[in-house]
Amino acid sequence: MTAPAERRPSTAVSAGLFVLLMALMAWIRLGIFPDRLISLSYGLPLLVCLWHRDLRLLWAMVAASTCMSAYKAFVLLPDEGLPFGQAVHWQFQMANMAVIAAAVHAAIVVLRRLKERNAALRAANEELAAREEEISRQNEELQQQNEEIQRQSEEVDQQAEEVQSQAEELQAVNAELGHRQRMLQALLESFRGGEADGPLLDGVCRTVLDLFAGAAAAAAVVERRGESLVRLAQAGGAEPAERPLAGSFARVVLEHGKTAFVDDLSKRPDLGGLSGPGGPFGSVLASPVRPAGVLEVYAAAPRTWTTEHFRLVEWAAAQVSLLLQVRRLHEALSASNADLERQVRHRTAQLQEMVDELQHFSYTITHDMRAPLRAMQGFAAVLSDGLDGQLDAENRDYLDRIRTAAERMDRLITDALSYANTVRTEMPATAVDPARLLRGMIESYPAFQPPKARIEIEGELPPVLANEAGLTQCFSNLLGNAVKFVEPGRVPHVRIRAERRGERLRLWFEDNGIGIPSEMLPRIFGMFQRASKAYEGTGIGLALVRKVADRMGGSVGVEPSPGGGSRFWLDLRPAN
Amino acid sequence: MVGMRVLYVEDEADDVLFMRRAFRKCGWTLQAVEDGRQAIDYLSGAAPYDDRERHPLPSLVLLDLNLPRVSGFEVLQWIRSREDLRGIPVVVFSSSGRPEDRSRAASLGADDYLLKPSSGALFGEVVAALKTHRDVRVS
Repeated sequence: MTAPAERRPSTAVSAGLFVLLMALMAWIRLGIFPDRLISLSYGLPLLVCLWHRDLRLLWAMVAASTCMSAYKAFVLLPDEGLPFGQAVHWQFQMANMAVIAAAVHAAIVVLRRLKERNAALRAANEELAAREEEISRQNEELQQQNEEIQRQSEEVDQQAEEVQSQAEELQAVNAELGHRQRMLQALLESFRGGEADGPLLDGVCRTVLDLFAGAAAAAAVVERRGESLVRLAQAGGAEPAERPLAGSFARVVLEHGKTAFVDDLSKRPDLGGLSGPGGPFGSVLASPVRPAGVLEVYAAAPRTWTTEHFRLVEWAAAQVSLLLQVRRLHEALSASNADLERQVRHRTAQLQEMVDELQHFSYTITHDMRAPLRAMQGFAAVLSDGLDGQLDAENRDYLDRIRTAAERMDRLITDALSYANTVRTEMPATAVDPARLLRGMIESYPAFQPPKARIEIEGELPPVLANEAGLTQCFSNLLGNAVKFVEPGRVPHVRIRAERRGERLRLWFEDNGIGIPSEMLPRIFGMFQRASKAYEGTGIGLALVRKVADRMGGSVGVEPSPGGGSRFWLDLRPAN
Repeated sequence: MVGMRVLYVEDEADDVLFMRRAFRKCGWTLQAVEDGRQAIDYLSGAAPYDDRERHPLPSLVLLDLNLPRVSGFEVLQWIRSREDLRGIPVVVFSSSGRPEDRSRAASLGADDYLLKPSSGALFGEVVAALKTHRDVRVS
């Protein structure tokens, strides 16, 4: 913080005062009393500077008065009539003025300092007042927050108490759950071990003894079979393998279907009490096990059973019931599984037999159908040869029609046969060089060679994973179609090239044929689908190509060629 | 030209007729039987084929596979089991193009496997194919 700057005394006021006072002094000393000494001190005007605190004015007046007094002493005044010498008198005057000037100077400096201090103090005071205000405001806020915290802290205390009481409850429940979990664990482990009922239930009995923590000496699970009780499991070694139902405590429990106990068995000799290692048992607690069993817990000496013991024995009995039920269900399930498996095997065999029969049937029937066709074609030809020259055009046309109809039927049958063959034969895949297959095919069929057709393989065709016989079938159908479906008078032109498409290798077959109408494109690979009746065909060829491609793990498709024909593609797995 | 005596085992009367027509043109003799049983009787000289004057042993057997009573494969197996018939070529003549039929015929000892043409008028081609067997036997 800085004190407010001391305002400099106005120069104009200083100049005015200087002129006024010096003129006044000059007028009095030099004008009115030029020839005598007056007792008016030169230091008097200097006192003005205590009001107008300008050091420049002070010392300017000192300088001017010095000059004025020197002029009067040494020029105007006569030497005579002076108590001392002129020089001494002037010196006194000067000393008087110097003392007053010094005093006024000192007073001005002190006053200025005081004023500065004062200003600084006032500023500091204001600052302090502002701070104090701020602090009191913050104090108020703190006070408010404090109250809030106080309130929350009370709530937290309350909640803590609730949590505490809940934790105590939980602890109790936890202990109980711990007991049961140990039992369940034992059960689960036994399940995992895949043990038989006996050892598994023995484990349950041992766990029950553990849970009773010294309150019981033996535990057993018995089941009613006719008029006997059969031991299913035990721990502590008391239960015989089989004993009569009549006169047993288990019978009472079974009849009532409820948990029951006898505090002191020595008072009930009619129940034919069992014995442990240290003599007859003193007390029994038992609970029914569905469907016809009892879980019994014995103590060595007479005792009172607690509610907790009741809960434990009932819970354990429920677990044993579940266990027995699961076991029974499991047995039933395995039995029905075995039955199911037998049925599946039987059905599969039946189906296989049916498939074989059907295959044989279809083979035989197609086979037998070809014989009359052969005869029809043959006789038509024989007739046509024999009647050469005697037939008019119309009758010759009829004969030709018989022949072509029979031919067509025969082609249908052979195509259907090869389709059926493809469906059922295995197609192991090996690395095949498609270019070699294609060249071999072109060389062996004149229909694929100039001048009848132009088939070109463009660039390299990498080896593919395919079945050679299957691939040959695909190629011969695709090329056969390409050279067949062409406008009359046009030389078929087929271009074959390969394209790598990710994991697949695509073989393109681009032709200059009549193309496929767009509405036929989705169906062209279907069975018996024909795009044009103007060309001979059975509608099986492309269905066969698709089937074979499928069987080899490939796919086939077609799109219109920009040049007007079709572009068939065959996607296959590359060989490496 | 050396005449061939062919035993044609065929149950389709029409096929027999077309084959007779084709044989007439080249002057060979054709004996036809209708099923496998008759074929075995003929070859073993059992009645009614016990007269070798009228029913001489053939120089080639043309055998259909799909036959009544005894199938073509069984006839083929029987012929190959007979020492006295060892020198007679057996040509299978079937409309079945199944690879398993072909390989079975080959494994049972068939000398050739001819596919039946789609028209009876084309049986002349079969005769042309049989000539190669005749030529092999003569040379």
